[in-house]
Formats: sequence, C-alpha cells, structure tokens
Amino acid sequence: MSADLTTVLAVVAVPFIAAAVTPLVVRWLGEATAYFAAVVALACFALVGVLAAATGGHPSTVSVGWIPAYDVALTFYVDGLALLVAGLATGVGALVFVYSRGYMHGEPNQAKYYATMLAFMGSMIGVALAGDLVVLFVFWEFTSVASFLLIGFYTGERSSRRAARKALLITVGGGLFMLVGFLVVAAATGTFSLASLVADPAGTRASLQAAGLYLPALGFLVVGAGAKSAQVPLHVWLPDAMAAPTPVSAFLHAATMVKAGVYLVGRFRPLLVGPEAWTVVVATLGLVTMAVTAVLAVAATDTKELLAYSTASHLGLIVAGFGFADVVGAETGAFHILNHAAFKAALFLVAGILAHEVGTRRIAEIGGVARDLPVTAAVTVVAGLSMAGIPPFAGFYSKELLFEVSYQAAADAGGLAWAFPAIAVAGSVFTFLYSIRFVMLFFGDRPASVGAIHRPPWTMLAPPVVLAGVVAAVSVAPQTTIDLVVGMVAESAGGHADFHVGVPTTLKPPVVMSAITIGTGIVLFRWYDRLHTGIAAVLDRPVLRADWWYTTLVDGFTRAGATATPWIQRGALRTYAVWTIATMSGVTLVAYVAAGAAPATVQGLDLAVPIVLVLLVALVAVATLAVAPSHVAGVLTLSILGFMVAIFYILASAPDLALTQLVVETLVLVIFLLVLDRLPAFYGSIPTGRGARDVVLSVLVGATVTVTVLVTTAATPTAPINNFFIERAPVPPTHGSILLDYGGGGNIVNVILVDFRAFDTLGEISVIALAGLSVLTLIGMRDRGETE
Amino acid sequence: MTTVVLRTTVRVVLPIVLLVSIVLFLEGHNHPGGGFIAGVLTTTAFALVYIAYGIEFLEDEVLDRGGETGVPHIRHRIIEDYRAFFALGLAIAAGSGLVAVAAGYPFLTQAVAFVHGVPLYDDLELASAVVFDLGVYFVVVGSLLTVLSVVGGE
Repeated sequence: MSADLTTVLAVVAVPFIAAAVTPLVVRWLGEATAYFAAVVALACFALVGVLAAATGGHPSTVSVGWIPAYDVALTFYVDGLALLVAGLATGVGALVFVYSRGYMHGEPNQAKYYATMLAFMGSMIGVALAGDLVVLFVFWEFTSVASFLLIGFYTGERSSRRAARKALLITVGGGLFMLVGFLVVAAATGTFSLASLVADPAGTRASLQAAGLYLPALGFLVVGAGAKSAQVPLHVWLPDAMAAPTPVSAFLHAATMVKAGVYLVGRFRPLLVGPEAWTVVVATLGLVTMAVTAVLAVAATDTKELLAYSTASHLGLIVAGFGFADVVGAETGAFHILNHAAFKAALFLVAGILAHEVGTRRIAEIGGVARDLPVTAAVTVVAGLSMAGIPPFAGFYSKELLFEVSYQAAADAGGLAWAFPAIAVAGSVFTFLYSIRFVMLFFGDRPASVGAIHRPPWTMLAPPVVLAGVVAAVSVAPQTTIDLVVGMVAESAGGHADFHVGVPTTLKPPVVMSAITIGTGIVLFRWYDRLHTGIAAVLDRPVLRADWWYTTLVDGFTRAGATATPWIQRGALRTYAVWTIATMSGVTLVAYVAAGAAPATVQGLDLAVPIVLVLLVALVAVATLAVAPSHVAGVLTLSILGFMVAIFYILASAPDLALTQLVVETLVLVIFLLVLDRLPAFYGSIPTGRGARDVVLSVLVGATVTVTVLVTTAATPTAPINNFFIERAPVPPTHGSILLDYGGGGNIVNVILVDFRAFDTLGEISVIALAGLSVLTLIGMRDRGETE
Repeated sequence: MTTVVLRTTVRVVLPIVLLVSIVLFLEGHNHPGGGFIAGVLTTTAFALVYIAYGIEFLEDEVLDRGGETGVPHIRHRIIEDYRAFFALGLAIAAGSGLVAVAAGYPFLTQAVAFVHGVPLYDDLELASAVVFDLGVYFVVVGSLLTVLSVVGGE
C-alpha cells in the first residue's frame, strides 16, 4: 500500500487553512478557540494515523508538479521517521492546545497565538513529510519564523524580543548552512529529490565522495541540524527561548521544532553513515552536547531553564545515537525521539502548572507541594524518572541502547574512542542529578514563600496526564512500542526494524554503565547544592559562557555597523553616485577581464559624411558643455548631444529608436528647465580635486560602455534571434482572418515589445509604476524617519 | 518663464502634440510609434502646460480637479488621479494577458484579426496587442505625471 496524495496534502494544508481562519474563529469562540485548534490537531493526527495504516511505515512517495520547467515538484515522502515526527507534531499539538485553554486564560492576542501555533504545526508536518530538499528547506524556515513569533509573544518585554531575535538569528542562520548543504548534495547527485536520494543511499554516498563533496555536505548539514536542535555551541538560544509561554516551550522547544534538526540527522544518516568522519563529527557533537548541557542544567535556577538545558542534553543523546555507525545507533535515536517528546512535554506542562499555581519558576522557592498537587506530582515522578533513565521507566531503555552502542564503538576502535562511553556515563550522571532535583520540587521541605495553592483546571491537568500515560505505557511494554512505532523509525534511519529491549537480566557492559550512573548519581545528589553553586561560580567567567560569545559577537557587529555608517552613508547624493557608478563600472570591467571576453576588432571605419557631421556636432556640444557658464546653458548643450544621437539613429535606419530618443530628450529637457527655474543660476567653481575625480569617473563610465558595446558585438551566434523576429513579426503572405502564431505588425520593435516579449514589458511598466509610487511615498513620508 | 511668447506657443502647439501622440499610439503596430513613445509625448504636453501656466491652472481651470490631499507635502489632489491612472494601466496590461489565459492560450498571447469591407479603411487590421499597449501608455503617462507633479510641486 502506498500513501494517498489527497491525504498527504490534507494533513499539510489543513493546519495552514485553520490558521488563516483563526482570527474569525477567535471572534466567535473567544478563548474556546483552544478546542477548535485541538480538534484541528486531532484531525491531522488521525490523518497521520491513516497514512501510517496505509503505508505500514514502508517508504512511499507522492508528488504534485510545481515548477515543471525547473524539475521542482511538491514531493512528499512518507516513511517511519516522517510519520513519527508528524505524529508528534499533531499528537502533542492537540494536547498542548487543550492545555493552552487553561494556561492562556486572560492573555491578550489569542488570535495571534493560535494562528501561529497552527501554522507552526503545519510547517512541522511539512518538514517531516517533505520529499524534496527545496520543500524541506521552505518548511524548515517556516518553523523558525513561527518560533520567532511565539518566543517574542510578549512583544512588550525586552527580554522576549531579544530571545526571539537570538533564536531567529541562530536557527535561520543554521537553516542557511543547511541550504548550502542541500545545494552541495544536489550538485554532487544532480537531484533535489529526497525520495530518490534515500532510495539509493550507497549511490548517493558514492557520488558525494566521487565529487569530493562528502565532507562539505556533512559539515553544512550538521551545522544546520545543530543550530535547530540546540547542539553545543549553538545551544544558547534554547534557554532564552523560555521567554515564550510555557505551552509553546512544551510544543516547539521540547517535542517538535527542536526535533527538526534531529530529524535531519536521522534522515541523512543512511546517506552519509559509513565513513569515519560521520561518527567522529556527529557522535562527538551529540555526546559533548549531552554532557555539557546536562552540567549546565544542574546550574539552572529556574524550572524552565533546567528543562531547556535538559532538552539540549537529550537532543545531544539522540544525535549521538544517530552518530554511531552501528545499527543500534539508529535504534537509539529513533527510540529516544519518542521517549523524550513524551516525558519532556509532560515536564514542561508541569513547570507551567507550577508557575501558575505556586506563582514562581525559581527552583529554590518551590518544594513539598505534592500534597496540594497530587496528580501533577504523580506525572512528574513518572516523567522525571524516565528522564533520569531509571529502570524500568521508558528513558532507561533508550539510554541503555546508547551505552551499548558507545561501548561497542569503543571496543571496536579502541584508544581515544573510549572517551565515547566515558562521556556518555558522565553526561548521564548529571542527567540523573537534575532529573531527581526536578522531581524533588514536589517533596521535602516547603519553603515559607509558598502560599496557598489552587488545583489547576482540568484542561491544564489532562494533557500532562495523557503524556505521562504514554511514558508509562512505553515503560511497561517497550517491546510493543518498538514493534508498533519505533522499529519503522529506526529502519528509516538505517537500523533494523526488529530489535529488542527490556529490563536486563544478565550483566553486560551497558548494565554496568547504568549501575555506575545511578550509583554515582545517588551519592552526588547529597551535594547537589554545592555542585549547583560550584558550576555557577565557574560560569561566572564570561569566556566559558557560550552566551557571552553570542552577545559579544552581535554587539560587536552592531557597534561596527554604527561606526561604519557615517563613513559610508555620508548623506550626500554626490558621494552615493560616485560609489555606485564606480563600483558598477569597476565590477563590469573586472568581470570582462576575469571572463577573458574579447572585444570585437574594429576594421576600417566606413562612415558616411552625414554621420561624421552629426558626430562632430555632438563632440562640439560636449566641449561646450564643459565650459557652460550656467546650468541652463549646460542643459541646453547637453540636449544638443541628445538630439544628435537621435539624428544618428535616423541615419542608421532605426526610426523607432530615434523617435523614442527625441521624445525622451524633449521631456528631460522640459523637466530640467522646470527644475532649474527654482535653482540658483550657477553654484560657482568646483574644487580641483573633485573635478579631477569626476573626470576620472566619467572616463571610466565611457570606457565601460565602449568596451561593453565592443564585447557584445563581438559575439557571432550561429542562429541570431533577429532572424526569428524578422520572420515572425510581420503579417505572413497567406493567413486566415485571425492570426495567432505571428505578430502581424509592420513595426518589429513594437511587435517585440507588445507580443513576443510582452512579459518583459509588463515587468518594465511595473517598474515605472513602482517608481511613481516610490516618489509619492518618499515625498509623503519626508518628515518621518530620522527624527523619530 | 511664464512669458506671453511661451504661453501663446504652448496654446498653438499643445493640440498638435496631443494629436501626434495619439497617432503615434495607433500607428505603433505597423509604423514607428507605440504606447511608450506616445505616453512620453503626452506627458511632455502636460509638462509644457506646467511650465507656461503652472500646475494650479491645469488642475483648476482645465481639469476642474482642484483641492488638497490629506497627505503632507503632496498638495495637489490631481496626483491622486495620476496614481489611479497608472494603476489602471497596469490592470489593463495584466488583464489583457489574462484574457488570453481565459481563452486557453499562454499568458499574454496576442492575436490579430482582419476585418474586411470597413468604410474608409477597406481592410482593417485589429491587433489585440493594442489593448496591452494602451496599458503601457496609461502607466507611462500616469507615472511620469505623478513624478512631474510631485517634484514640480516642491
């Protein structure tokens, strides 16, 4: 069975349509729009289910033509990985929308919130299902823009705006790296079709290596994925992104958008895995991220900040899993995508409940609230222990797989590769620490600052309970989960569909590693506060903080821009003109030299007497212009030059050009006179330096034009286009009463303008209209701008 | 520059200029001319009136469209008409292309029809390109006059 085009298009389009009508729905339903959005998400979830049932996770491609001339098609590729990511986007989406009903109660801008969230959901489904690199890139950038809008949701707050800008800079910048990576891949393989690339992974890898583009492709793609999935050192945007409303954090920055980078790694894993570079780059990146951000999470003082660093850490785990060449690597990543989405979204929703009901996000000010929030506490225990990787909770199984594959890689390669399992264990110890710290928010002593706590509304309680239910279900029946979902995902990423996990019964290396992790974690947890302050103290040194580097860099650019502007943008039109003209001429001439263009050789000037006369008059006019005593005299002599050119056209049998030249020359002259009427008669003499500069500049322009004419006329095409026009423009000797194939006009120039190249003309008159509009706008808005 | 000589000359020349521009427009298909040239020439005619009589004369006395706009710095309400003019031109040009699409041909396909037995002309050639050219004419006239009036009004 294969995927159905209508279903695929529907699942991508429905969220966008829903987003478009959201403003109307908000007017009608008010805050209950949350349910509308949830129903939309559920419908999409059902459609993803239909797709999953129809394909059974087997790869399937559907396509609809887009720009056939350039071989660009709206192609969608449905397989296990795509279905999982789309399923998360819609499933978690539905829960988050219900949660938003309670959380966003009383907030302004409901329409903006739900419309952006729905559009984001559509973009994320698009990323997951895209079967074409261009389509993937477009949806990818859509998600970045949606994330920007949602992080900056509280537009009145400076920190929100800064965080939004930061996220946009990093994720969109990363997206551009990814685009370059795509172009490299397309250059080597000759296709943008992801579906055909994935269909022949070995061939793709071979053609990349043959073109010597394997490493560039890998590098660019990893930077793109790393920026999106908050890998060190590009993780800095994720903690700041917590300025967004909590449901946004749960949806975008835990379950879905940050998974896009991981998705990319998983998607390209079958294509690129094999050469040692893959493991060296990807596994190292993932493990370093996992360890570093886990340590940073321990230093966090804010619940959402802790979860943000933890998200980066777990994304690192997934990337690391995909990074190992062994098939178990694919299984690690695939399994952990699901696990992490479930427990981290649940924990974010819990953090939102705490912020709402306890009234603070500071870790130190929360404690012992389990009595007041029993259901929330239960959810936290299930999700938190899964995050810590404690058996038999879901997260344990995927972490065991990582231990297994990293140990395997070390045992195979030896030497430095032993760092892999070591870092994995170290990172996991810190993961254990902060996970337990988060769970302990509900237990232990109750700080005096905690006041009366309300029960959260059911809309805020039900979604985390459902997510915790998923975690519990995976914990109880991991094997069933693999058979149903994870297996086909692992297959997409280059693993086997049938693999086995379970609570270990024999003593194998991964089990020992888990035991070390949990043992060390329990011991160290007694000194959690010391660790917390210790790490925070180390981070006081700015060079150690990635954020310091970001700030320094961005502020540096801003300052450099502010310093450079007065030098470049002097505000004098004359300066702008000099730079523009000089650059244009210079670049053109350099380009001719670089391209080795040869100008036509002029063979014997054979000019008729009238033409010589006309040109002589023009020369005299030029000479007079240079010594003209006033503006009016200058303009008049300049127009002599123009009229001589018109006569030259007439003599050269180009009546249409001559007519145009005459009319334009007249109009310009008239306008000049109109303006000159209001100007002083003459400005006086100009400084010698400026005069010399202007002479050099005008010679340069003249030289450029001359060379251009000579170069362009040097070409001798075998089938010149003018023959086509000469044959097709006039009325043919025999014709019917309606003529379609021919221009049917005696004036070839005009027939070209209005018939053969009418599209060009349409563009040109649009430019003319825009020029008119621009003048209106510029003059109309003159008082605004710099003064405000 | 509003001398009597200039005013008298403009009075005589103006109708000729406008007539020539119309001829150039209509003849464009088979002889030198066309929408662009005709548009520039028409603009020149207006510019002559501006120079000789001033913009107020043109809008109050000739076109009866005096008054002020709400936009700062753009005083003359006639500019709004010019703006409408080039919008109309763009619509005509693009619309003429869409007609071809509606008839099942590629965008901007032009046709020529031959009508026989027309008085005076005998055989008349009707080109659909004239409609497109009319759009060009309107855009050129509208935009150039906008620029001229706005800048001239400064």
